[in-house]
Amino acid sequence: MSHLSIFVQYVGQYMKTRLTYRSDMVVEIMSDLLFQAVNLIFILVVFGHTNLLSGWSKDEIIFIYGFFLVPFALFSTFFNIWDFNERYIVKGELDRILTRPIHSLFQVILERMELESMFGVVTGLAVMFYAGSNLGLTISWYDPLLFLLFVLGGAFVYAGIFISLATISFWSDSRTDIMPMMYNIGNFGRYPVDIYNQIIRYVLTWILPFAFVGVYPAAFFLDKTEWYGYAYLTPVMGIFFFSLSIFLWNIGVTKYRGAGS
Amino acid sequence: MNSMIHVENLTKEFKSYSSRSGLKGAFRDLLTRNYKIHRAVDSISLDVKPGEMIGYIGENGAGKSTTIKMLTGILTPTSGEVLINGMNPHKEREKFVKTIGVVFGQRSQLWWDIAVQESFRLLKKVYNVSEEDYNSHMAMVIEALDIAPLLDKPVRKLSLGQRMRCELAAALIHNPPLLFLDEPTIGLDVLVKLKIREFLKELNKQYNTTVMLTTHDLSDIEALCERVVMLDEGKIIYDGSLSQLKTSWGEGKQIQFHFKTPKTRDELIRSTCQQLVVWEPGENENTWTANVTNDEDIISQVIGEVVANHQILDLKILETSTEEIIRNIYEEGIIHG
Repeated sequence: MSHLSIFVQYVGQYMKTRLTYRSDMVVEIMSDLLFQAVNLIFILVVFGHTNLLSGWSKDEIIFIYGFFLVPFALFSTFFNIWDFNERYIVKGELDRILTRPIHSLFQVILERMELESMFGVVTGLAVMFYAGSNLGLTISWYDPLLFLLFVLGGAFVYAGIFISLATISFWSDSRTDIMPMMYNIGNFGRYPVDIYNQIIRYVLTWILPFAFVGVYPAAFFLDKTEWYGYAYLTPVMGIFFFSLSIFLWNIGVTKYRGAGS
Repeated sequence: MNSMIHVENLTKEFKSYSSRSGLKGAFRDLLTRNYKIHRAVDSISLDVKPGEMIGYIGENGAGKSTTIKMLTGILTPTSGEVLINGMNPHKEREKFVKTIGVVFGQRSQLWWDIAVQESFRLLKKVYNVSEEDYNSHMAMVIEALDIAPLLDKPVRKLSLGQRMRCELAAALIHNPPLLFLDEPTIGLDVLVKLKIREFLKELNKQYNTTVMLTTHDLSDIEALCERVVMLDEGKIIYDGSLSQLKTSWGEGKQIQFHFKTPKTRDELIRSTCQQLVVWEPGENENTWTANVTNDEDIISQVIGEVVANHQILDLKILETSTEEIIRNIYEEGIIHG
């Protein structure tokens, strides 16, 4: 429980600093919204040329995109540590983290969280409801529960991959361009995996399982029974990849070399 | 065992690769790399008793910071044993760091954008300090460091001296029995330095806090530490009292003469031929320095003889400063220590 109360303290401080820089917050939310709108327009443009994509309709793809936005918002809020190498390893900020009595990863997450990204949950839900009503989807009593489970699973998949990548910095502090590349690969999970070839599909399912952040769990709500197995696997993949990343992190910390001085 | 810090054969090696020269070398580097192992800390052993204040000195790159980082649990040692407060810093890091306070002079512990007291509140939560403990202990710290007027200011608006005092207070929120200070007075003015020294003495007296201090400012060490540990190329080259260091190394005294007319070395040697004096030229031909052993008779004899033979305008007797002693040790190595 002490972790929870520390979390609450950090959130309180975060709000205080953010409220002193109100205009920053507005700009950030606006740019997030713009980014989401551009992606949506891209989907609409593609469907201006065709009505079906491997048997998926426009509204279904929009629904998947809407679903994707929710775990992605959770990920961006808490686990978006793309600048970990620069900030904590090269500048040696991890020294400070390691002299405090809380798990180092937890502290990094608390320091790097960006609560305004949570706004993505709202847009995601709006997009889903819009596409869902076009498709005439109904909501059963267990849907919200599974939705929560799948969203958490998806966010953990994302978090697991990005934390694992961040741990590379413990071994080599040279800058790599792997993070932006990973963001692009992550976007692949927003589209039905059966539009890709076998190899990409395999990679997106088992190696960099971004498909579990978008298409697999969303397919469940679209009543695509052939994908149910994958959908149910989402929380399992989330827990597995997240645990793996924590395991790697714990080894990595012992390899930390510190910055000079 | 009643030592606060117990270190045995502590070693830290860093692996770095050296690149070959030329384009051909660069291609060869792609295939096989030449690794070089650099020992930053080379099997040091150390015992510190509770309540001791020890100064840890050495040149840049001697391994001071690396040692401190191993003792605070930031770096994992390559080999050797560390036991602090009966705990291994690497096995039980989270429990261990609750018993130490750390101040890195070059790095801030405080949150940049929020007021100092908010930082303190957050740290109080992080260290899980109760309200009563916090109030009774921090009242003294805030009073002694004179930071009460700074508490509601954001850290980014503080001057370096103000920030440093707040950093020190932040490191003491959980009232740790052991405090590591890595160059805490770097870049500070004399008044702030004095205040911090006074405070550390007070802290040591009141709570029997053990302090391990690294600094390049030897006056800090003279003011605070009875014991110094000197490090060179990762090895401890001296571990003992500061006064011992001074007597065994700072034996000589210097007498600086300012003559009315230019002098040559031969002239001076001739006039003091009965004594063991080494003459060194000063800024110009009129000033010369005589290095003699620290013996009152010899000093007065040398002065007498010089004054009898030459006209002088001024004369000064200088004692070798700690700074010089340390410099000599580094230049000559510890041969007759």
